[in-house]
Amino acid sequence: MTTSRLSSERAKGQGTTVLAMLLPLLLSVLAPASVIAPVAAQESESGLAPQDIWSDEYSFQIFPWGGDSRVQFREYHDYFTMKQRMQNLADQNSEIMTFHDGMNGGMNARGEETNRGTYQGWHYNHDSPWMKITADVNGGDCNPFVGDCGNYEDRPDVMLAGNFHAREWMSYEVPMLFLETIAYYYGMAGVDNDGDGLIDEDGWDGIDNDGDCLMLNASYQDSNGDGNPCGPGDLGVDEDFSEQFITDMVNTREMYLIPMLNVDGNRYDREVYCGPTAWENCPTSGWRKNLRDNTVTGVTPIPDVDEEPDPSCDGVDLNRNFQYEWGAPLGATGPLFPGMCYAGDAGANNDVYNGPVDTVDQDGDNRLNEDHVDGNDDDADGLIDEDWLGGNSEPETKLIQDMTEMNDDDNDGFSDFKATLSWHSFSELVLWPWGHCTGCYSPDDEFLVYHGVKMGEMTDYAPMQSSDLYPTTGDFCDWHYGVHNSYCYTMEIGTAFHQHPDDIAHIAVRNLGVPFYMVEMADDPRYRAIVGIENTTVSQWLQEPSEVKVGNGDIPISLCLDESFPYSTDINMTHLMWRLVQPNRQQNDFGPTEWIDVPWKMSAFSTPSEGQETQCLLLDGSNGTVLYSEIPLPDTSVGKIQYKAMLGTTNGAFPFTYPTLEGGNYYELAIPYRASFGSSVLSLMMFIVIASFVWGGLGLTLRAMFDDEGGVIGLPDDYDLEDS
Amino acid sequence: MAEGGSDEFSGRLGLIFATIGAAIGTGNIWRFPRMVGANGGGSFLVPWLIFLFIWSVPLIIAEFALGKRSRTGTVGTFRIFAGKNFAWMGLWTAWISTAIGFYYAVVTGWCLNYFQTAVRGGLGSEVDTTEVWNSFLESPSDVIFFQAIAVVITMAAIWRGAKAIEKVNVILMVSLFVLLFSALFLAFVMDLNDGTLDGFVYMFSIQPEYLMEPETWISGLSQSAWSCSAGMGMAITYSVYMRKDEDTTLNAATMCLANNSISIIAGLTVMMAVFAVVDDPLSAVGAGSSAITFLVLPEVFAQAPGGPVVQVVMVTVFFLALSFAALTSMISTVELCVRNFVDHGVDRSQAVGFTSVAIFLFGLPSAALWIKMDTATGVAFPQFLEVQDHIWGYGLMFSGLFIAYSIWKYGWSRYRHWQSENDIEGFSLRDYLDNGVSSFRDDFINTGDNDWWIGKWWDYIMYLGFPIMFSVLMGSYFIDLLVNVDDPWNPSNPNGISIILLFWGITASLFIGMNRYVLVNRMVPTSSDSGPWPLYILSGDFELEPRPLYRNVPEGAEAPIDTLPGGEDDFIVQVGDALPSSFTDDYGETRAHTLATLEAELA
Repeated sequence: MTTSRLSSERAKGQGTTVLAMLLPLLLSVLAPASVIAPVAAQESESGLAPQDIWSDEYSFQIFPWGGDSRVQFREYHDYFTMKQRMQNLADQNSEIMTFHDGMNGGMNARGEETNRGTYQGWHYNHDSPWMKITADVNGGDCNPFVGDCGNYEDRPDVMLAGNFHAREWMSYEVPMLFLETIAYYYGMAGVDNDGDGLIDEDGWDGIDNDGDCLMLNASYQDSNGDGNPCGPGDLGVDEDFSEQFITDMVNTREMYLIPMLNVDGNRYDREVYCGPTAWENCPTSGWRKNLRDNTVTGVTPIPDVDEEPDPSCDGVDLNRNFQYEWGAPLGATGPLFPGMCYAGDAGANNDVYNGPVDTVDQDGDNRLNEDHVDGNDDDADGLIDEDWLGGNSEPETKLIQDMTEMNDDDNDGFSDFKATLSWHSFSELVLWPWGHCTGCYSPDDEFLVYHGVKMGEMTDYAPMQSSDLYPTTGDFCDWHYGVHNSYCYTMEIGTAFHQHPDDIAHIAVRNLGVPFYMVEMADDPRYRAIVGIENTTVSQWLQEPSEVKVGNGDIPISLCLDESFPYSTDINMTHLMWRLVQPNRQQNDFGPTEWIDVPWKMSAFSTPSEGQETQCLLLDGSNGTVLYSEIPLPDTSVGKIQYKAMLGTTNGAFPFTYPTLEGGNYYELAIPYRASFGSSVLSLMMFIVIASFVWGGLGLTLRAMFDDEGGVIGLPDDYDLEDS
Repeated sequence: MAEGGSDEFSGRLGLIFATIGAAIGTGNIWRFPRMVGANGGGSFLVPWLIFLFIWSVPLIIAEFALGKRSRTGTVGTFRIFAGKNFAWMGLWTAWISTAIGFYYAVVTGWCLNYFQTAVRGGLGSEVDTTEVWNSFLESPSDVIFFQAIAVVITMAAIWRGAKAIEKVNVILMVSLFVLLFSALFLAFVMDLNDGTLDGFVYMFSIQPEYLMEPETWISGLSQSAWSCSAGMGMAITYSVYMRKDEDTTLNAATMCLANNSISIIAGLTVMMAVFAVVDDPLSAVGAGSSAITFLVLPEVFAQAPGGPVVQVVMVTVFFLALSFAALTSMISTVELCVRNFVDHGVDRSQAVGFTSVAIFLFGLPSAALWIKMDTATGVAFPQFLEVQDHIWGYGLMFSGLFIAYSIWKYGWSRYRHWQSENDIEGFSLRDYLDNGVSSFRDDFINTGDNDWWIGKWWDYIMYLGFPIMFSVLMGSYFIDLLVNVDDPWNPSNPNGISIILLFWGITASLFIGMNRYVLVNRMVPTSSDSGPWPLYILSGDFELEPRPLYRNVPEGAEAPIDTLPGGEDDFIVQVGDALPSSFTDDYGETRAHTLATLEAELA
């Protein structure tokens, strides 16, 4: 059944594919032969060209599904073309995808009556288009509120949402690539994606597993030009993933893909604010918010006469409009006074306006906004977060919140979304909660860190807690994690809001693994982190005695950790325990060697300093990061150092020890005398002193003994021997 | 001696060699280098040298002075100097020495075995020395065989008294010097071979941080205390054979200085050889017990430059030197015991035979019992021997304390005497200092025969320094046991404190009990039908009569002992003098002495 569907689909795409394949051929024909020949000769000396290894398609990053330049990610989609493409894909893959435009609405989880209009943009009145992806997408339970009949109790749900901020165009292109990839590869198996004759040899992990990129001439190794040769996004890295994995994911997960949440804002950015070639005039600027008309609905009393968006005042930052810790004045980049719009002031405040203050007494107790959404019962009435301060005021955020809260296939009272992902631009980061407080850590921190670092490895993006970048309030992830305990990540894609169209494809490819990772871990992110951490700890190691370099001064002991291991930097949790075991100086002459019993001491681990090795090889062969601890020991000490490492995780759940119990309780390292043995001159002087005392004294006594006439040594002058 | 008359060394050199032989033992050769290694090289030499002059020399001076006047072994010396009721102190001293002799014979046997193994080329570079050691120690017949040889050699050496002891000691000590100097030369070449003399440099470099540590000072004190045999009673014993004009102080100084000279030579030899060969020399030389000597040094010498012949020579020479050092100490140990029998009228040959057999028999458990394996190092060790050493090694310190006690007692008795002469009542520290404290020094050390006049410093050391040093040594030992031994109070723990106190307590109580019945008196059957020995003792059917003590006073060496606390005793006589025929018993009755005629005839 599946194969027949496939062949028909492939036949459909054939025409465009052939055209795409001809493209490089055409190019090579056009190029003067005299230029190509010497270049080829040069390359053969120091590496291969992409075409020598891979198919021409792959070498030129031509996607196998054919299509026009938008579908090939050489040109940006706009709202209309994107929606059209989504509809086409849904039509072509109707068993696994259904296209949706907004939601039907109804009685939502918080008792509000909503309708389709609730979720439509203020200005252009579009619904946010989204795709439901799962196997047999129309054969499951129907959810009239959401309008989707692909709900299965046993399939974990995962929400993947892009373009909260209108100008961040890559944030909907990445979801589109994800969508295209699923649509094309679902049901296939064993595809040689790069045409090198191998199958599924390099999946998404950010590493060139098969080493083919390294075979390239150095000039080709950094094909995406980010300065990191053979890194994520470069040709030859993660180029041949497992299609079976994609199929499995679609069969066992429910994906809610919302590529463009902020349709209003996106249209405004493209059509009015920056224009269709925004990368030229707005590379790192543009329209961010939605198009709420603050001059009407806000506090500014002047009526909005022309009904056109007023860039100096209108709009709400959707990623500040979620309810968890909404508007908390914690140094966040929110308006100074929540709900106020500073008309005419186009500064940063305005750009992150988090929406109006709530004016409804949700619980009808005649007290307004007395229990803010923060997981606590602020007013001590037994209800939690029941009368909020604000947030969730925008159609787009309502869509997210209601979609999240109205998806409870198993009716357990909790949202089904255990994993959620939002795409943003730019900065090349992977972020996780919390965003609303600095120096604070969530109870799941070490697990969030674990997955975050994994995705960071996949993309070579920097993983960090959201608030370490800057504090934010009311963002998507704080709300998802804080209210629904969903493992929520934010990808900050690329290096500009409006990337040049030439960069769309490789940036999208670089980010393709992340949504799949999120989809995979959606079944139980916490458990997957625990298992991952435990597997990780098995391959981590403490330096063995034979590997330790004992030089002069402190003795460095290294600990090789998986890059994603969420170790605690608290010395009480993570430290080297050591003691110097010396033979007792009052040694019995005939018994076994006696040792002094000394208590264990603690030394902190720290990251490598200048000149120290930063990389190590984990036991499973992958790269790890090194931590160093120093055993302070004077050079004159002799004995055996016994040492072991205690490795705590950020929330203290897993105190690991190295060596493991199976490997013995501790390592033992013999410490030789390392100080100088002394100065020759001084030792000679000392020898003379000792010798003159002992041998000189001996000579003196012997001489005195045999010399009877010599008189008595040391006899006082006034002493007469005969008297005594 | 059956022939009667006194026994004496033929000359100064004889005495010197005998006393040096007693002082120099295996401790100089294996313990000293280990202490140097473990205590910071030159830093150790500082306390070691200081304690030589404030512990060893003063104590040996005292021993010589005691023995030269008492002219008896340890039991007699304490009977005379400390008084009738304290003869048991002499027995303690003799016992400690003999008890050490029990296992020292085993150790001497080890050295002899290693010597013969070395001669036969069994300690070459290809040999696993741990394996050699373990297999030797774990075969009791081998250990006992060489123990027996050690005992036989010792017995032969002392069979014929002072002159024989002297001859054997001269031969052995001269050989020892020659051997050690050859070994030193070879070690010097070895160490120089790698371009640096680091063994020498380390041994003579002071490391200030070690000087700050109390362990270094305690180690220096203990090495000084044991190495020179101070307090062991050796000097008392050998001074019995002194001629009249022998110098006590110079002899004492010579004995100790010679001992330390040998220590330096042996220490240098070991340090230079080990530093030349071993990567981690301090761990090799400074760690572990003396068994390390048998493990590390053969390995080191087997790598001597100059080929296999030199290597065999080196290791042979070393173990021969070690054997000689052990044998001379063994000789003095046995002689100390024998002397006490001879003092009380036992025939020398009998005493030697009896003592030798006893030393062999009581040494058997040390040789073969409880051979354990040190799991940490994989080296076998004799636990019974270790426990013996554990118990009696520090018992030795009490011998020193007793010597000091007899000196204090003499000073006190002289002060009381002075008081009664001058009709002075009540204690005055000033008077005591003037008329008591210095008495021993004035009366027995600074005599006309002395070429080295001893000043007041000696009094300070004996009255103040000694108790302090004694307490520090004892205290540190027990603290060490408390801190580093698991369950130190469990009496079944062979390394614990309880077992030491138990053995010390039992021994001391037994000896104190024996004092009246055996040491100063003898038990004779009440009547002829009291039955044979020991029946009359067990049945309580006995009476006490004074036990005669025969002083060995060479010609012209007479010196009065009547001012001594135990000196006014008619039954302390010179060899050859007649015993009084009667004595006054506890009830004031005059009774005939059973030995009156017999002993007089023997003399």
